[in-house]
Amino acid sequence: MRGHGWKWLLCTPALIVLLLAASGPLLIVAIYSFLSPGNMGGVVWEFSTEGWFRVFFRRDIFEPDLVEWNAAHLQVFWRSIWLSLQTTFICAVLGFPTAWFIATRPPHTRTIWLFLITIPFWTNLLIRTFAIQEMIRNNGTINTVLMQLGLIDSPIQMMFTEFAVLLGMAYVFLPLMVLPLYAAMEKMDFRLVEAGYDLYASRLNVLWHVILPQVKPGFIAGSILVFIPAIGAYVTPRLLGGGRTMMLGNLIALQFGQGRNWPLGAALAMLMLVVVVGALILYLRVVGGNDEARRG
Amino acid sequence: MVSQEIEIAGLNKSFGQGAAAFQALRDIDLTIASGEFFTLLGPSGCGKTTLLRIIAGFEQPSAGTLRINGRDVTGLGPNKRPVNTVFQSYALFPHMSLADNIGFGLKMQGKPRSEIRATVAEMLQLVRMEAMADRRPSEISGGQQQRVALARALAPRPRVLLLDEPLSALDLKLRKEMQSELKRLQSETGITFVFVTHDQEEALTMSDRIAVMSAGHILQLGAPQEIYNTPVNRFVADFIGDTNFLKLRVKAVEGSAAVLELPGGKTAQASLPEGMVPTTGALVTAVIRPEQAEAAAPGAGDLQATVETATFFGTDTHLHLTLSDAQSFVLRRQNRPGQPAPAPQSRLGLALAPGALRVLKD
Repeated sequence: MRGHGWKWLLCTPALIVLLLAASGPLLIVAIYSFLSPGNMGGVVWEFSTEGWFRVFFRRDIFEPDLVEWNAAHLQVFWRSIWLSLQTTFICAVLGFPTAWFIATRPPHTRTIWLFLITIPFWTNLLIRTFAIQEMIRNNGTINTVLMQLGLIDSPIQMMFTEFAVLLGMAYVFLPLMVLPLYAAMEKMDFRLVEAGYDLYASRLNVLWHVILPQVKPGFIAGSILVFIPAIGAYVTPRLLGGGRTMMLGNLIALQFGQGRNWPLGAALAMLMLVVVVGALILYLRVVGGNDEARRG
Repeated sequence: MVSQEIEIAGLNKSFGQGAAAFQALRDIDLTIASGEFFTLLGPSGCGKTTLLRIIAGFEQPSAGTLRINGRDVTGLGPNKRPVNTVFQSYALFPHMSLADNIGFGLKMQGKPRSEIRATVAEMLQLVRMEAMADRRPSEISGGQQQRVALARALAPRPRVLLLDEPLSALDLKLRKEMQSELKRLQSETGITFVFVTHDQEEALTMSDRIAVMSAGHILQLGAPQEIYNTPVNRFVADFIGDTNFLKLRVKAVEGSAAVLELPGGKTAQASLPEGMVPTTGALVTAVIRPEQAEAAAPGAGDLQATVETATFFGTDTHLHLTLSDAQSFVLRRQNRPGQPAPAPQSRLGLALAPGALRVLKD
């Protein structure tokens, strides 16, 4: 027991950073969401629930008492959730075979493949996103090649569509799915796969009954790592989606910028936090719940 | 005639390519009879596990054919062979209950639910694990996991059960228990067992027949008594049981036996392996098991020896002796009440059992 008394001090630098960079700002955002907007941005220290009200409803410009659902906000919420779910699904479908391939290489070559997977992290996100723009814009690489080949007459509109946002997000977040999946597969006992085959299971049955239950923790970790940053993505939808496929991150940024409605922005940010945490709890209950209960 | 369960002909297996290629199995010809308890015995790296994995279908042979119950299964996957494996590490599915583990093979075969339930219950009873059907593999002991692995492999009623060193992870007492359990299961089910082990004692006590393997070859194939009493070469003699190797001079050859000159001047008859006719005066290697000689009074018996050490083993004592020409000899003497172990440096005579001495091909 001796010496344990001061060991917690080792965490203090990290605790201070967390306090200053996460909990503090979060508290400020929570407070701002209950204040009134200033005319030139910022907040006026006057309690108001208008910020939260405006998240869901809109007032008629001429008759402030005329209230209707704010369909645009709800649409952005829904689009963010839906695009993030699709991104997670695409990353899972693409990431599984990739992780499987790496995990089944001889140990020394695995390092090389893992290194290749992480290379995109070394390049600035903006540069990578502009590179995607270059590929998919109307007079970009793909359209030029297809038109030169005579396969299409006019360019396919890919920029500023949900497809572009999905492509960009799947590309950016794919490594975050591959790495935890790989970690789960690397720990997997491959003799279980042999045992499955030995007991008359087809390839598909081995995948479903033996491999997937084994790598489930990797799937859970990967989908959390992809879904959470995806729902708040800012750069990718901004550059590839434009104004028509705005996502939550852009909507929030808008309120702090041109919108000059900081309390609304703060309320949106808090709501996003609630949605993400709620989704996380629900997800872990549904997917991971059985195991936890049994293990306990 | 006994029907043949497994027929292996001209089987070769090499791993890797070109200069780095490693030949794990060389020209294996083997037939295993239906209902036999057959053991592949050899040191690690001898190819026994590779052979088992080829029978299971996890590996494909580089050349040769494999028939199971008369059907050529070369090239078929493990899920298309009437063969199940008990893995060394058990490889139980950690996310399934014991009952689901045992029922997995039947479920994959598409058997109806009621039949699966009945068979699982029967198997749990067979391995005496009825009370634990709903537990997870991580919640039971190694010995219990072993039983479940057996039940899981037996449940689909395979024609052949392959066992890859299944007892090596168990402690001695549990291992002995599982040995008799395995024998019981085999006689109750009538399934052909192919058992891989590096433990010669396990092989001797359990098998109907043993194939002793080394460096990808089958060196000797036969019943345990045959392998123990008449090993074909030095490797088999050394690997199975303890053996005294003596360099002795040939005094005369009489048919299939040689008269050898023993240290100290006496002679003894030793059987010759088939086809070997040594020249008189040549040095040959003769073998005798430690329990096939008896201590006698100094001066009596065939050989004279000095005791170096005596090691107590419970049922018997191993006496490490030096013969009069400095060759060493181990004598295994059964312990009896009131019989003290001889003191080091004491002298004694050795009487060899008639017919116990055999000349080996080198």
